[in-house]
Amino acid sequence: MLKIDNLHCQVETQDGEEKPILKGLSLDVPAGEVHAIMGPNGSGKSTLSYVLTGRDGYEVTQGSMVFEGEDLSELEPEERAAAGLYLSFQYPVEIPGVPTITFLKEALNAQRTARGEDEVTAPEFMKLIREKAKQLGVSMDMLKRPVNVGFSGGEKKRMEILQALVLEPKFMILDETDSGLDIDALKTVSEGVNALRAPERGMLVITHYQRLLDHITPDVVHIMANGKIVKSGGPELARELEAEGYDKYLGEAA
Amino acid sequence: MTATLTHTPAEQALIDALDGATGWQAQLREATLTQGLPTRRHELWKWSDLRRAANDVTAPGRMIVTGLDTPISDGARIELDVTASAGASAADAELVIPAGASVTLIERYSAEAAALGNWHLKITLQDGARLDRIILAADKPDSAFIASSEIALAPNARLHQRALDFGGRLSRIETHVTHPGEGAEVDLGGVYLLEGGHHADSTSVVHHTGPGGVTKQLVKGAAAAKGHGVFQGKFIVDRAAQQTDARMTHRAMMLDDRAEIDAKPELEIYADDVQCAHGNALGALDETALFYMRQRGIPAVRARALLIESFLAEPLDAIADETLREDFKVQLRTRLEALS
Ligand SMILES: Nc1ncnc2c1ncn2[C@@H]1O[C@H](COP(=O)(O)OP(=O)(O)OP(=O)(O)O)[C@@H](O)[C@H]1O
Ligand SMILES: [Mg+2]
Repeated sequence: MLKIDNLHCQVETQDGEEKPILKGLSLDVPAGEVHAIMGPNGSGKSTLSYVLTGRDGYEVTQGSMVFEGEDLSELEPEERAAAGLYLSFQYPVEIPGVPTITFLKEALNAQRTARGEDEVTAPEFMKLIREKAKQLGVSMDMLKRPVNVGFSGGEKKRMEILQALVLEPKFMILDETDSGLDIDALKTVSEGVNALRAPERGMLVITHYQRLLDHITPDVVHIMANGKIVKSGGPELARELEAEGYDKYLGEAA
Repeated sequence: MTATLTHTPAEQALIDALDGATGWQAQLREATLTQGLPTRRHELWKWSDLRRAANDVTAPGRMIVTGLDTPISDGARIELDVTASAGASAADAELVIPAGASVTLIERYSAEAAALGNWHLKITLQDGARLDRIILAADKPDSAFIASSEIALAPNARLHQRALDFGGRLSRIETHVTHPGEGAEVDLGGVYLLEGGHHADSTSVVHHTGPGGVTKQLVKGAAAAKGHGVFQGKFIVDRAAQQTDARMTHRAMMLDDRAEIDAKPELEIYADDVQCAHGNALGALDETALFYMRQRGIPAVRARALLIESFLAEPLDAIADETLREDFKVQLRTRLEALS
């Protein structure tokens, strides 16, 4: 479903220099599977999520990323979203002045329009969002507030998953969605994610902790270091990391 | 002393148009005769060159004002349409808001191409009067249009003003307020949104002459490439105006590196026991927010419009009349969509 081959990516730094971050990353996530990526701080996990979703300033210099047969690098961020790619941000962004409900309705209808589907009507949308909000334990009051403004760290993460439930993307990238969540919230959010697991849907779950993978059991675990995947294995790999740390992989990546 | 000034065709046209005028129009004629149209050398016109903006005006024109026959009493809604034809023209009016009355005044400005329009209002608010003044300066793309007002409040009067300006070759809304304190309140708000080639100038002076006055001012603007926004705000606080509470804020967004926004917020304070503040902030569109919105599927153009709208809407949110408030927001949205 998502095929990344020998991907090299560089970012433009503050002082205008090009800094290589991804250095030949390859990854293949078939439909229906959940893959986890673990790796030390600064190894390039968020960079991967941004380059996949098309953020400005993240330039592919070599290699390819193909989603359901389409070359992602040819598409604008909104086109990738309409194709079904969803990123749960490590740091969700505040948008003052735009109520969350308005924002989500705009987003859903924009995606539907781009796919040649009918827009949802206001009553249909309200029904949908009520149902999903209930599922995630989010109050309607909160949805009337501007996107992420003044939300706690955990509330922002919960909102990211609520948005995913409303938009029903084909492929989700969760970038440290577990960080900032308390134990109960982690359970609720994981249930939300698991509800989206389906044979036609893929997921890439970036995390530092086994505790998320206790709830969302991955099919494959990848270890990323210095801009590359250095090892892949089953769920046991995550438990091994938890016990032993990254030390033995850092040498291999250099 | 006779003026040795050589007049531009626009100046001559305005002088001719005002031949035989009285009152404010006579003053305008005299000023044009002796000093010409203001240029950037003029202290109060630092960033707006009227002489240049009017350089295609060659003959007198006409300014038509409708709605002045509305009786002014409590609950009145006065709708003034002020239209300048091509050429140089001026008009003025005087309104007295009676003691205790609450009145809504809506002004809509429009001008034909190659117009130099001068509109002036003198407004007196008597004791306890309330005026909601709402200005839509939308429809005058290829002209110079100057709207000035002198507003005097009595104690306990309240002035609430909101202006929405889409600019023009030169558009200026100039507001002079005399604020006596003593329970009187002034709230001046404005929004400008400028496409390339458009210029809008918001200039105001609030002169606090008595104790305990409250003044709020929030002006927000956005300018696209080659748009030019100007904000000049001045609060004067006399020695007698102790305990004045006056706050001025101008915030603007440059939508492109080639936009220009100039701001001069000023406080001139002669009293020692006051709370006065001014803030001025220029920024750009939040690229991170833009990406977040696009990641959710909202096309770039729409995402930009939403972000700019949410930034600009704040002063308009305070328009009391719901229908007008919505109308203004629709106008703003329509402009934004055209902009991108
Ligand atoms: N715009 C930028 N300018 C300079 N360096 C950058 C920029 N963006 C990312 N980097 C660097 O690239 C590296 C990878 O960053 P990235 O955010 O992808 O790491 P990560 O694996 O997500 O880390 P974490 O686990 O802490 O979230 C880091 O060293 C970071 O400082
Ligand atoms: Mg990261």
